[in-house]
Amino acid sequence: MNVVVCVKQIPDPAAPPSLDPGTNNLIRAGKLILDDSDAYGVEMALQLVDKAGEGEVTLVSMTPNGETSGLRTALAMGAAKAILISDDSLAGTDALGTAKVLAAAIKRAEPDLILAATESTDGYTGTTPVQIAEILGLPSVTFAKKVEIDGGSLKVERQTEAGYDEVESPLPALVTVTAGVVEPRYPSFKGIMAAKSKPVETLTIADLGIDAGQVGAIGARQEITDVSASEERASGEIVVDEGDAHQRVIQFLEQLKVL
Amino acid sequence: MRFAFTEQQTEFRDAVRQVLTKECTPDDLRAAFDAPAARTDRWTTLAEMGVVGLTVPEPQGGLGLDLLDLVPLLEEAGRSALPEPLIETTALAAPLLAAFPSGPAVDWLERIAIGVVTAAVGPVEVISGSAGSTGGEATVPAAVGADLYILSSASGVHAVPSADVTVTPVASLDPTRRLGTIDWEPTTTTLIASGEESREELVRLADRASVATAAELLGLADRMISIAAAYAKERNQFGKPIGSFQAVKHLLAGARVKLEFARPAVYGAAWSLGQVDLAGSPSGSRGASLAKAYASDAATEAARVSLQVHGAIGYTWECDLHLYLKRAWALAESWGSSADHRSRILASLVVELHQTQA
Repeated sequence: MNVVVCVKQIPDPAAPPSLDPGTNNLIRAGKLILDDSDAYGVEMALQLVDKAGEGEVTLVSMTPNGETSGLRTALAMGAAKAILISDDSLAGTDALGTAKVLAAAIKRAEPDLILAATESTDGYTGTTPVQIAEILGLPSVTFAKKVEIDGGSLKVERQTEAGYDEVESPLPALVTVTAGVVEPRYPSFKGIMAAKSKPVETLTIADLGIDAGQVGAIGARQEITDVSASEERASGEIVVDEGDAHQRVIQFLEQLKVL
Repeated sequence: MRFAFTEQQTEFRDAVRQVLTKECTPDDLRAAFDAPAARTDRWTTLAEMGVVGLTVPEPQGGLGLDLLDLVPLLEEAGRSALPEPLIETTALAAPLLAAFPSGPAVDWLERIAIGVVTAAVGPVEVISGSAGSTGGEATVPAAVGADLYILSSASGVHAVPSADVTVTPVASLDPTRRLGTIDWEPTTTTLIASGEESREELVRLADRASVATAAELLGLADRMISIAAAYAKERNQFGKPIGSFQAVKHLLAGARVKLEFARPAVYGAAWSLGQVDLAGSPSGSRGASLAKAYASDAATEAARVSLQVHGAIGYTWECDLHLYLKRAWALAESWGSSADHRSRILASLVVELHQTQA
């Protein structure tokens, strides 16, 4: 059972983010960390491989600046190796471009299962995983809250607004997992030490046979034209009770049509 | 020469900070105040990570690292006011047991590494006021509910299982201290070291206790200053944040300076205790005492200033500050107060002076 987990290294959400004034893209200079939402996929993959009794977990990630500290975190959790696509021409790549690059890298790993988070914590497009599945011609199951492998097939409980769907699919397939599907383990000290010697294969887009015109800001079919601050919530109305407060509250509720 | 922690030491520190940020929140601390316990899920998590067994030798399932590796983790324990006995178990009991690898000691070490044993360490006559004392009878931190008691008697050092001791709880301002007095009878079955070597080991134990406690105090001081600085930015008076007033700024800056001057003393002492020629030597002991004196003073000052910046709200149950204040007050006096350690340094220097003159 070989599982590929798509992971994203993002700027630390605890630090205030900043946007490039020219492109309106998030500035990703400096240290990047493992996206918290990807830790669930890594944990799920480790559990599935553990249960299968054979195989390994491979991470696939893409970044413009060759950063690996986020990957080391996932390797410290127990993933066996990582493929990192790092290329200067990747800066400004949109979701589809990212999917093309990741799909090409995933293909090399020949996985039985591909796991991803439903969306990244910095970009929130939530489209890359299904695009990868489409490019690879694989079935995709989104919003998994439980994943089981039964022989050659996949059983997923898929979160819906009303409850969950039970979905079955042949393998290989791509599954996106929701936060909370499993409790991600903390990396142990032995894991942190071992992660240093685990292989991280660094590839350029040329290695993957992808044309530079398809990725980066040039290849992007979308651009961020404008950014504005989100509207502040209007302050509420303060009712001073002069004996008629209850009537004014009732009036307010009637206006909202809740009464 | 490089005067900084290694990449591995900082990575371990970051990993522990990440865990404690999630597993040792102010709400967790309030719960621990209500129901103090020696072993918890958090302790198991820390053991699985390798924190608890950090100083346990590798053959017994630990990482075989030393106090210098542990100090950054103790700072994190202090920053989060970790209620579990990391000082007693990992900084004190494990290295002592490892120095006398007899049958029972090996067994204890293996169980410490997997997180099923917590230790309490009885008073050591090396430092006056060690482990705190009330009314002449020694109170021992982490005593209530411990599995293993490291105790010394005229015959030597003993590793005593909980079945062989009677612990009488003693109230503490910080209930997670689990203070108690210990009633026990030394026997040959619990003896792990005797004679001169046990006396030497007790000096090392006291030095390690001083430095380990100092490290937690650094973390506590850092946390209290952070909480107070954040409060000073949001609390308004006379139409602006109180942090904009020079009197408040200077209070906090003064506390920060004291902390940053204590820090190298603690790191230096931890390094010294890992050197064969310095560990247990008068110079090594003076370094450990200096570290504890500075860290106690820095944490006491940070506590005083943080409380003053908060005003009365700082002492309420709802405000997080008191969780760290109470631990800082307790640890500042534990294993010798600042005054005790200054006296110890003086006494040591006087002895050395007489020796050079003789």
